[in-house]
Amino acid sequence: MMRLFSRRVSVALWRRVSVSGTQTFPPGHILSPRGVSSGCLLRTDKTQPDHGDKIDLDLWKSVMRSNTAADESPEDDGEEVTKGDSTGAPDGCVLVATRELVSMWRQAGKMVPDQITDQEVQTLAGLETKSSKKKFLKYLSIRESHKKRDKEKREKKRSEREQSFADNPKTDENRPAWKNSFLVQYRDHWLDRLLGWRSAQAMRFGQPLVFDMSYEAHMTPYELANSVTQMMEVEGCNRRALDPFHLHYCNLQPGGGYHQGLVKRYGADAWDRLLVTETPQRHVDVFPRERLVYLTADSPNVLRAFDPSKVYVVGTFVDRSIQSGVSFANAKRLQLATARLPLDHFLRWETGAKNMTLDQMIRILLTMKDTNSWEKALAFVPSRKHDGFYPGAAQRDRGGAAGRGRGDRDSWRDQGDRQGPARGNPGFTKSFRFTESGGAGRGGQDRGEPSRGVGLSWGRENKPPVARTH
Amino acid sequence: MGSRLICKARLCLTVLSHHFRQGNMCARTMCTKGLTPGGRKSGHRQTNPTVRQTDSSTVRQMPSFPGSVFAAGNAKRTADKLKRQAASPSLEEEEGGQRRGFTTDGLVAPERPLPPAEWKKLKEAQCHPERFERSMMMVLFKSGAQLDIAKSLLSFVAVDTGTLSYQLLLQYLMLCVRGGHNNEVLDFYPVMRGAFPTLDTGASTLFIKAFSRTPSWREALPILRDLKKVFSPSPRNYADIISGALQHGDHTEAWQLYHDVMEAGKTPLQDTWQALFEGGAKSDGGEAGSMSRADYGDRLLGVLGYMRDNQVYPQQSLADAIKTWFQSLPGHTWRGDWTTVTPKGVCKDCGSELESIQLTPEEYQHLKDRVMADIIQGKDVFKKTTPEELESFKAFVKRKPLFDVVVDGLNLLAVVCELERLGQTILVLGRKHMLTPSRSWDRHNMGLIQKKAHCFFTDNTSEDDPFLLYAALHSGNHCRFVSRDLMRDHKACLPDALTRRLFFKWQRGHQLVVYGTVVMGQRVHFQMIPPYDTIVQSSGGSWHIPYDDSVDRSSYEVPQSWLCLTNQR
Repeated sequence: MMRLFSRRVSVALWRRVSVSGTQTFPPGHILSPRGVSSGCLLRTDKTQPDHGDKIDLDLWKSVMRSNTAADESPEDDGEEVTKGDSTGAPDGCVLVATRELVSMWRQAGKMVPDQITDQEVQTLAGLETKSSKKKFLKYLSIRESHKKRDKEKREKKRSEREQSFADNPKTDENRPAWKNSFLVQYRDHWLDRLLGWRSAQAMRFGQPLVFDMSYEAHMTPYELANSVTQMMEVEGCNRRALDPFHLHYCNLQPGGGYHQGLVKRYGADAWDRLLVTETPQRHVDVFPRERLVYLTADSPNVLRAFDPSKVYVVGTFVDRSIQSGVSFANAKRLQLATARLPLDHFLRWETGAKNMTLDQMIRILLTMKDTNSWEKALAFVPSRKHDGFYPGAAQRDRGGAAGRGRGDRDSWRDQGDRQGPARGNPGFTKSFRFTESGGAGRGGQDRGEPSRGVGLSWGRENKPPVARTH
Repeated sequence: MGSRLICKARLCLTVLSHHFRQGNMCARTMCTKGLTPGGRKSGHRQTNPTVRQTDSSTVRQMPSFPGSVFAAGNAKRTADKLKRQAASPSLEEEEGGQRRGFTTDGLVAPERPLPPAEWKKLKEAQCHPERFERSMMMVLFKSGAQLDIAKSLLSFVAVDTGTLSYQLLLQYLMLCVRGGHNNEVLDFYPVMRGAFPTLDTGASTLFIKAFSRTPSWREALPILRDLKKVFSPSPRNYADIISGALQHGDHTEAWQLYHDVMEAGKTPLQDTWQALFEGGAKSDGGEAGSMSRADYGDRLLGVLGYMRDNQVYPQQSLADAIKTWFQSLPGHTWRGDWTTVTPKGVCKDCGSELESIQLTPEEYQHLKDRVMADIIQGKDVFKKTTPEELESFKAFVKRKPLFDVVVDGLNLLAVVCELERLGQTILVLGRKHMLTPSRSWDRHNMGLIQKKAHCFFTDNTSEDDPFLLYAALHSGNHCRFVSRDLMRDHKACLPDALTRRLFFKWQRGHQLVVYGTVVMGQRVHFQMIPPYDTIVQSSGGSWHIPYDDSVDRSSYEVPQSWLCLTNQR
């Protein structure tokens, strides 16, 4: 009431002033208190409208004051509550102050989320510097806007669907006719099952690929979350591949940040069903040292050719602020062979670090395994970092492949088969039932080990892994 | 969905062909190749034709001023030169940088306060009327418009919408503070306080700044206290209040706040020190607030001590204030002069010798230990070397006589020859790949170097700089090293400020940098090592204070100008 009244009064007052006055301004009348420190100017400031001026410059102050007077009574209660909090616990006082600061930043037009949970306030209060607080709030606000946008999209879709249902109600006449086709529809879960078969087969006979998860201490929580996301993409990519790797997640400490992150993102069920080998053991304990090759961008050696008999190790390490030499130091400590990708040999490198993300690594390695062409594999290097391939790269590439003997290939396959059952065992934590059955697994035929007659049967309860990588 | 489709398609087509394709693959041994040499180091080569040549006892050196890599402004000059060589692209970038900023929607600030009707017209003419006020306020702020125009805009908005947003008031506050309209700020502070439960950091900072310029500067103290609830206020906030307190004669409060800053572990701004020195010079006689003159003076000397301990160099304005303060001291006749120092380390003004750059034995020992622990070993020995290599190097250093000079492997044969001619015991550090003959590492030259000097070659996968530091430090205080590397990355590995300072001091006193370009057949010159330390220093009746006379100094450079203060009884 009070507020409305005062606003009306001030507006009326304003109108009276502006109607009666002329539109010109005496030049000497403009205030310039610059450089003078006195209270008397303040007084002229206030008395100015009374001089018969046209525009009431301080009208906004009275409007704001009257607004405050109107709002006073409810605000008093609020303040008392906060004061009670602050005297109760100094910790709560900080949280209240932080929350208030957030609300003021929101009003000041900074990037701040509309809603903030107590947990987030606690994290915010734990951050020391102003810039770190602002960064955290910016992150929250971006996340919030994404969520909001997704929700809006979902709701729009739902309303559209409902609208369409309402427009054409489901009756026997309206139902679309059955599709008639000579092809049997290929169902999604068939594909899931087949891919699961492949992964399982890779776990039995495929080339191992190790992800070294010992870099938790070097990463910030954000980076850890990033690397978990990348690992999920790695697994999804590998699962869909024609000839997947047998993924080993080594140094994965149960209950560690990595483990928690992966379980949280996959969900406990899907994580248990995942067709990868995870182990808290080191890779040097799982595989013989001479078979391991650590892939690191700091290595002095260039990986010229992809060797299927080797076990490549990729450090599961996201370093946004580049920490060079960390994984290389690890490899040196363990006296492992190291190699880096032949980026400089094939690509006209322009800018950016030569370390790849994990999903880029698995794509490169999978393509190398499938096609044995660096040109195809290095197509997964982000194009912003380079300016195309060297013109002669393709020939060199082919020359490299042609130089390999046929006997070579046979020998590695034999070796692989011989080592197959023995090598992976220490790391196996998943349970599979291997059946020596005449009817070899249906999915196993593309890889073709019919003479051994080894197949892998999924029990009814073992559902194929769920794709959740996106 | 797409990937699923592709998968299905691939399945249909490639199940059979896949098996044959596998046949292409076969094993191949790995090929190793060394790192390409020379790409790692960044050269800081200096060319200055005006420098004259002086003979030094052991090594031919050039005077340090102004050619030394550690002289102020050197890095900036080099960068400018390189930029000029690169020429045009940088100019375009600058232009692009100016264009960024707040969108003004093509608004133009009016020339006089407008009545609401005209504001309304302006607003309706805009394509984004919802952000008209904010854009207009920003335009007013940018153009430095009169306060009345902003006021009339606020009045219009207040009448139009019935209230004012916090953001708009904040912009208005910015305008007031920038224009120096402190009384206006005082006037509308209660309005702001009444309308909003708290203030954000930006508003607090602005209010503190505005209040500190007025007699009611004490109002800023509660705002500062509020800020402290959430995080520690910035040195800028403190600087504002301290200067306010000093201007209005409350020295006790000012010093109290100064100690708060120090306790919070922050480096006070130079403005703060300047205000303190100016406050000391201004207060005449005994009525220095509630603080005695002697006490105040002691505290100011404490400030100078802090500068010395933290290797802070005052800027020109602060140096001015220091000079004025010294000259205003009653009972003494201090004389201050702007001067420079001779290459030998003698003040050109008073003729006294400056402190030596050599470290004391304790400092030297401390530095030696820290370099070993933090630079070479660090958190992970394997990052820079391996334990076996480190042990073998330690044994190597122990076995050999004490070196006079340790040379970075990237230096040329000429350098080694020059040093050898002077009868120095030399250690050359390199990487193993230098031993394999290549275009840049001639076998004959390497053989010659090995004849003239002791050599140690680290693995190609190890860094050689840490070994250089280790060898130089272990050969005693007389041992110097030749490298173009400024060792900044290694200095950054040291955890505490004290050790970093010691390292820098030792580096300035021991690093030989090749002067100019090396021409085969001619003698090699080195940049001169100054025998004096560039730091705030006092000896009884005099003070010598190095100060920044330009803003171009990089953090790893030292100023070349000095303030010489002498007490003439």
